[in-house]
Amino acid sequence: MKYFKSVISLTVICAVIAVLLALTNSITAPIIEENASAAANEALLVVYPDGGDFTQLDISTYELPATVTEAYSATNGGYVIKLITSGYGANMVLMCGIDGSGTVTGATCLSSGETLGYEKTYGDSLKGKTAEDIDAVETVSGATMTTAGYKNAVKDALNATIILGGGSVDIRSEEEILNDNLSEALPSAEGKFVSWFMVEALENVDAVYEAENKTGYVLVSGEEFIAIDNTGAVLSTVADDVKATMEANAQLIINSSTEEIDISGVADMPSQIKKAYKTTTGNYIFDAEAAGYGINGDEYTRSNETIKIKISVTASGTIIACLTEYQNETPKVGDVCAKAEYYTQFNGKVETEFEDIETVTGATVTTGAYKTAVSKVFEAVKLLEGVA
Amino acid sequence: MKKNNYWKILITGLLKENPVFVLILGTCPTLAMSNSVTSAVGMGLAATAVLICSNAVVSLLRKFIPDSVRIPCYIVVIAGFVTLVEMFIHAYLPDLYESLGVFLALITVNCIILGRAEMFAGKNTVGKSVLDGIGMGLGFTIALLCMATVREVIGAGSFAGIPIPFMENYKIEFFVKAPGGLMVYGILIAVVNIITKGKAIKKKEFNCAGCPSAGVCNGGCKANEAKEGE
Amino acid sequence: MDTFKSLVAILLTAVLVNNYVLRQFLGICPFLGVSKKLNQAVGMGVAVTFVMLLATAVTWPIQVFVLNNLGLEYMQTIVFILVIAALVQFVEIFLKKFIPSLHKSLGVYLPLITTNCAVLGVTINNIKDGFNFGESMVNSLGCGLGFMLAMVLFSGVRSRIDESDIPEHFKGLPATLIAASFVSLAFFGFEGVVDNLFA
Repeated sequence: MKYFKSVISLTVICAVIAVLLALTNSITAPIIEENASAAANEALLVVYPDGGDFTQLDISTYELPATVTEAYSATNGGYVIKLITSGYGANMVLMCGIDGSGTVTGATCLSSGETLGYEKTYGDSLKGKTAEDIDAVETVSGATMTTAGYKNAVKDALNATIILGGGSVDIRSEEEILNDNLSEALPSAEGKFVSWFMVEALENVDAVYEAENKTGYVLVSGEEFIAIDNTGAVLSTVADDVKATMEANAQLIINSSTEEIDISGVADMPSQIKKAYKTTTGNYIFDAEAAGYGINGDEYTRSNETIKIKISVTASGTIIACLTEYQNETPKVGDVCAKAEYYTQFNGKVETEFEDIETVTGATVTTGAYKTAVSKVFEAVKLLEGVA
Repeated sequence: MKKNNYWKILITGLLKENPVFVLILGTCPTLAMSNSVTSAVGMGLAATAVLICSNAVVSLLRKFIPDSVRIPCYIVVIAGFVTLVEMFIHAYLPDLYESLGVFLALITVNCIILGRAEMFAGKNTVGKSVLDGIGMGLGFTIALLCMATVREVIGAGSFAGIPIPFMENYKIEFFVKAPGGLMVYGILIAVVNIITKGKAIKKKEFNCAGCPSAGVCNGGCKANEAKEGE
Repeated sequence: MDTFKSLVAILLTAVLVNNYVLRQFLGICPFLGVSKKLNQAVGMGVAVTFVMLLATAVTWPIQVFVLNNLGLEYMQTIVFILVIAALVQFVEIFLKKFIPSLHKSLGVYLPLITTNCAVLGVTINNIKDGFNFGESMVNSLGCGLGFMLAMVLFSGVRSRIDESDIPEHFKGLPATLIAASFVSLAFFGFEGVVDNLFA
């Protein structure tokens, strides 16, 4: 009986308290929720002071840049976009406000693992910019990675607002566009191509890409992407005269051969030059290496890993083409050396013009070493011409 | 005579048996929440509210609750009031809610509250219990305020978030961090010790008898504790 | 491998960086009360670690599968403290009946644990930090071990205090607290250790 009473009294107390709590909860829960949403709205106003009330958008129905994590529309037609982008350290979480006319109203960094703190203030320099003039905003040297990442994210946000507004933007990068075009021309390559070298021997061809799995080549001629297989047959449908030229080109590509020259015995050969080849047309191809900045995995600590470069030079000492074969530089900074717009600038240069090539701000180590390595081919050509 | 008695109960908690400096109860929230004046006062008043309510209810139900399950019953009552206070603070003082964090829920296991329920409210009338709750609660709040003032002024150069000229240029961050809390607490107890000429602390050496959980504990110190609560 | 890494990081953070006693002020009462002798400190540490693990194993599923599903999140505090109290009772009865020798050495600490805020604190923090079950268990283990580490270290410090010449009014608790302050200060040395180990 005593035991019974204990259980009853405890149960009754529990029940009464539970009812009391449920009642209180029904009063306070809506207020708490309101506070939370007001606080969230307040946070959005930081980057978009005129935004008024915000509604979160379901971004899964749009094809937005991958960095966009959340999007809110303001009552007056603008947007606030939240993004995650990689910085120097951990990921940066950014928030960016963009008004109805596509002008950045503010950008702020919500969290980051950055070392320098530029991410805290860099957003201010992007305020008032539009898609046209955002490129002109300079990155902060010494914090290039952070600020370049920041700028790219804001660009993504600008693109996202256009898409959210019903427009369409090509959100692919240049490399992705090229790769998509190549893949379309030669599906058997499964999306993996490497730039091919002796373009100078071919007629009406701007660039050649070889499938990494050796199933064929894609010849770029103006706007056209023409695929050939590894026997030299033209796969793409093209006009007859073009086809004839391309078939001839195909034969040249397939039958071209290079012969390795032994440079171990050549005195004074610059250390950057690792291998040398002579082509059937009498030109030279060099494998050069430059000490890059290098990164270790995700940690961005310096490893001085080498950058591998292929350079073709005429016997008279004019660079025909230059290509970065391998690099492990800091993403969005040193890795400019892997971009066609960077290495093609050496094309057609002779030794005397070399001084004018500038290093890239923020990637001085990488591009300085790169330029030095390329410049050594002139010396190498002279030596080999002398020897040969 | 009677009036005098009530007054005595109220004042006991404030000074003679100040829960923090004399009874050494509720040390965890005292140390954790005394790094800023705002959260110290918030914590103090929240605990006071819970203490008054739980004391009142425990006292009211003291005849109804069987002895064998009294501790679980007290705990349920206290946890219930803690949750109530937590909800109201979350709804109406969201900033305070953030700064108190997990310690708001931990008022449940604040030794002062269970200790007072066991030592005082379970044996006294509602009126006396409420007065005891007010006295003890305010004593806790005042003690927290003292500690927080010392720590915030020296450690952060401000009072309740308002910067103090001169002090803000010479802040010693040690005092707002964990070790500073322990040190200030130790020194303040020593100061109380000096003022009361060692009478207050002597009887409260840290052992089973000094343990606030003595009511929960089945140790032989229970009778001792109950006497002191009167 | 990554899960393992993150679990080790959680464990080390709980033991060294966010030490419950010395950095977060949870479980100060037993820290000051039961750290006089080494064997007491170890006994209390083991008992707390054990109860923390047990409490987490029970409260985590309750929160995730019951309270969250029924929209009763606000009952968290009440349910958790009752579960902990009941568990402690149960363990005590179990030990008394089946392993009397262990009950003799640990039993006296068990009732103290119900109102040890470190135990309730760890169960609530596990939910607050959004840990999954495995992470919660590892975090609880870390907090318990951290508690034990602090207790054991401090019992050593205390035995020295007893032998030293302390100003009259600082004798007893004030000296103990000031010594605890220095032990806590020492733990600041671990700041950033885990971040750098697993960066």
